Amino acid sequence: MTTDASTTISNSEILKVTGLSAAYGEAKVLFDIDVSVKPGQIVACVGRNGAGKTSLLRSIAGFLNPTAGSVVADARNLVGMKPYDIAKFGVKYVPQDKKVFSDLTVRENLELASYATNDHNWDRVLEFFPKLKQHMDRKAGFMSGGERQMLMIGRATLGSPKVLLIDEPTEGLAPGIVTHLRNVFKELAKMTALLIVEQNLPLVCAIADRVYAIKDGRVVAEVSDKDAITFDACEQYL
Amino acid sequence: MLDTFVWWRGIALMIALLCGLSLVLPLPFMNEVVIFTIYVVGCNFMIGRLGYISFGQPAYLAIGAYSTAFYLFYFGSNPLVGILVGVLGGLIGSLLIGPFFVRLRSDYFAMVNLALAVVVFYLTEKVLVSITQGDNGLWFMTQMTSTPVLDLTIPSQFLAFGIIVTFFVFAFYKYLDGTIYGACCLATKLNEDKLQFIGYSNFSIRFLGFVIANTTTALAGAMYAVYLGFVSPEMGSPSRAAEPIIVTLLGGVGTLFGPVVGAIAYTGMKDVISNMIGNWELFIGFLLVFIMLVADRGIWGTLEPILARVVFPKSRNTDK
Amino acid sequence: MIDTQLLISGVIFGLSLGSIYFLLAIGLSLCFGLMRIISLDQLLYYSFGAYMAYTVGLATGSFWFGVAAGTVVAGLISFIVERLIFRRIYERDPTFSMITSFGLLIGGIGVIKFFWGVVPRPVEVPTVIQVDVFGTAVPVYRLIVIGFAIVVYVGIWLFLHRTIVGKAIRAAIENVEHVEGLGINVSRLFTITFVIAGALSGLAGGLHAPLIMVDPMMGLETMAFVFMIVIIGGLGSIKGTLISALIVGQVVSVGSIIYAPMAQMAPFVMMLLVLLVRPTGLYGSPLYKR
Repeated sequence: MTTDASTTISNSEILKVTGLSAAYGEAKVLFDIDVSVKPGQIVACVGRNGAGKTSLLRSIAGFLNPTAGSVVADARNLVGMKPYDIAKFGVKYVPQDKKVFSDLTVRENLELASYATNDHNWDRVLEFFPKLKQHMDRKAGFMSGGERQMLMIGRATLGSPKVLLIDEPTEGLAPGIVTHLRNVFKELAKMTALLIVEQNLPLVCAIADRVYAIKDGRVVAEVSDKDAITFDACEQYL
Repeated sequence: MLDTFVWWRGIALMIALLCGLSLVLPLPFMNEVVIFTIYVVGCNFMIGRLGYISFGQPAYLAIGAYSTAFYLFYFGSNPLVGILVGVLGGLIGSLLIGPFFVRLRSDYFAMVNLALAVVVFYLTEKVLVSITQGDNGLWFMTQMTSTPVLDLTIPSQFLAFGIIVTFFVFAFYKYLDGTIYGACCLATKLNEDKLQFIGYSNFSIRFLGFVIANTTTALAGAMYAVYLGFVSPEMGSPSRAAEPIIVTLLGGVGTLFGPVVGAIAYTGMKDVISNMIGNWELFIGFLLVFIMLVADRGIWGTLEPILARVVFPKSRNTDK
Repeated sequence: MIDTQLLISGVIFGLSLGSIYFLLAIGLSLCFGLMRIISLDQLLYYSFGAYMAYTVGLATGSFWFGVAAGTVVAGLISFIVERLIFRRIYERDPTFSMITSFGLLIGGIGVIKFFWGVVPRPVEVPTVIQVDVFGTAVPVYRLIVIGFAIVVYVGIWLFLHRTIVGKAIRAAIENVEHVEGLGINVSRLFTITFVIAGALSGLAGGLHAPLIMVDPMMGLETMAFVFMIVIIGGLGSIKGTLISALIVGQVVSVGSIIYAPMAQMAPFVMMLLVLLVRPTGLYGSPLYKR
């Protein structure tokens, strides 16, 4: 893709999505989406099921090829890159399904992430998620949903990613774990930017610096003023 | 929606094409093409409509051929009855085998059918050698009696018979396509879960389709038997398992005329290439790979939309 | 009442046959488990392995050198095929790959015919020494073949469970996208797996060469058996493939002592029975869409 105005952005944006459209075959799912994330920010996308939130993250991560628009991360155009190259570049996608590699142990799951990123320092991961220490040599498939989510996020943080794209992390999790994750996200934001898709509005209101509301594949609202992010403001778009 | 005129138009065109070609091309070639077309139609239906690939079509061809052969060798002498027996053999065979195979997913299905072809081949070649005469084959050309109206023992009249049969086969499949059942077949290929939710049984749809397709194949086998006047295990040889698939793809999967186009192209190529190169496998193998990678809609499949736009610029009725 | 000696040699023969089938089937199974393709061209690499054992064995005077050459050449060819062809079709469904690989197999048979002609090529057994097993004289070569299969099985197990690349492959068998999402180059994993499969198939061909007729159609003749093994064991399961290969080997071998013609058909009947009870084979995984 040729460099145009959209790539010569101000250094303040670590991820900038412009005019993104995408489709699964004939079925169009995203229409002309603009999203931007600054370093250290937590940006949330809210919207109903099927609104296109997951498709948006997948498009950025390279799993869905856009039909139009651009995705620029840290001055690098991501469109057309293979998903594993995008991940290696530092834009990591944490999917919604809470599936880890169940036949491998927790240790092996982390080893794979270390192998990919060349980051063998697990201190931070274990600081965020001390519970993982207990399960190191257990097969990952035997852990609970919350523990698996922690492992997924932990894996993704290796290699000092630039942006984490997290898809509905708190879905189906107990409130205690949700609170734990909330604190982890706040800590994570200090070293990386987060783009989180969530339906958990209280969480969004608590941590998001900016919120995009997505409906039928379009951005219908954008709230950049942190104080204006309230439960009611978000709820109208669900 | 059966727009009767369009319905007939396509088939009539094809029959006219076959008749026209019969006037210019050699008789053996045309007979081969006609029977081969029927052989391929079954395969085309399975791949194009049911979404099932079978590497074992030679098995059903052999079942049809040998059923006819048994009748003509041991019992009677009327070729028409012989063909009927062949079709019956195929029908019974697929009714028996169907329930086992049809519940499998597509890759297992393909493989299992090949295994069947090996077994049938083995049966005809070795195990049942007392009644099949093994590799020597069963010869009954001289035992067949003439039939009224069209004497099947005379090649030119057999060709006329063959074209008539082809017409009815195509008419049948075209009719099927327009029925609810036809739509079900396509649906079962595209989204079987949804179909189940609506209340259709995937199994019955597939089973019926399996029986129809393989009985058609057996018909081709029966016709081969009568035309050639003999059968041998080689007809059901697993190494020829690719043929109907290749021809189906070559012609165009799921199209109505694909089988005809494919049969003509394939038989033609076979003659020409065999004389030139002599290494048939080399050519056909890489042709298949080429088709899959580049033009997997086949000759007719690629040609048809273009023709449709050229010949019927305003019509939205694509004959598929 | 079967003669014990006959039975023992039948079992050994069955084990060696099963070993060869295992080497062949494991390629198919792995390729399916990881890449969701059905790689029928494995039978082509098997044929090439056998022909290399013949040609190189003849040229160098050493059978084992021929087998090694066969393994390497098969691996090389499969590398080229993977890069040129399979890479383009991973996204499609398995039946697509089945047809394409079948085309490759047939085309490859043509290539073999071109270079070696249709006359079967005899390959001599490297050693005619016989060894005493439970009172029966058994050719050492058969035991060597069994040994190869054991080594390969252990080797693959170690590779998949003790090396990081192997673990990545196991992870990718579970979920390719998640592995990609970590930043691992799955394209490379696919190539590695495919080449391993091809090399093993070549090894199977080389080892099998002294025991059968080396002719252009050998791949097709073996194909049906390999199908049955892979279906019974379940596509994608290594353990299933091993067990299934051993069973089929026994059935064919010991079965032919009991009643020859049925021995070839018995695996087929077994396959039907297994499929009735478990449509995806004994250890197979259902076909998940990725």
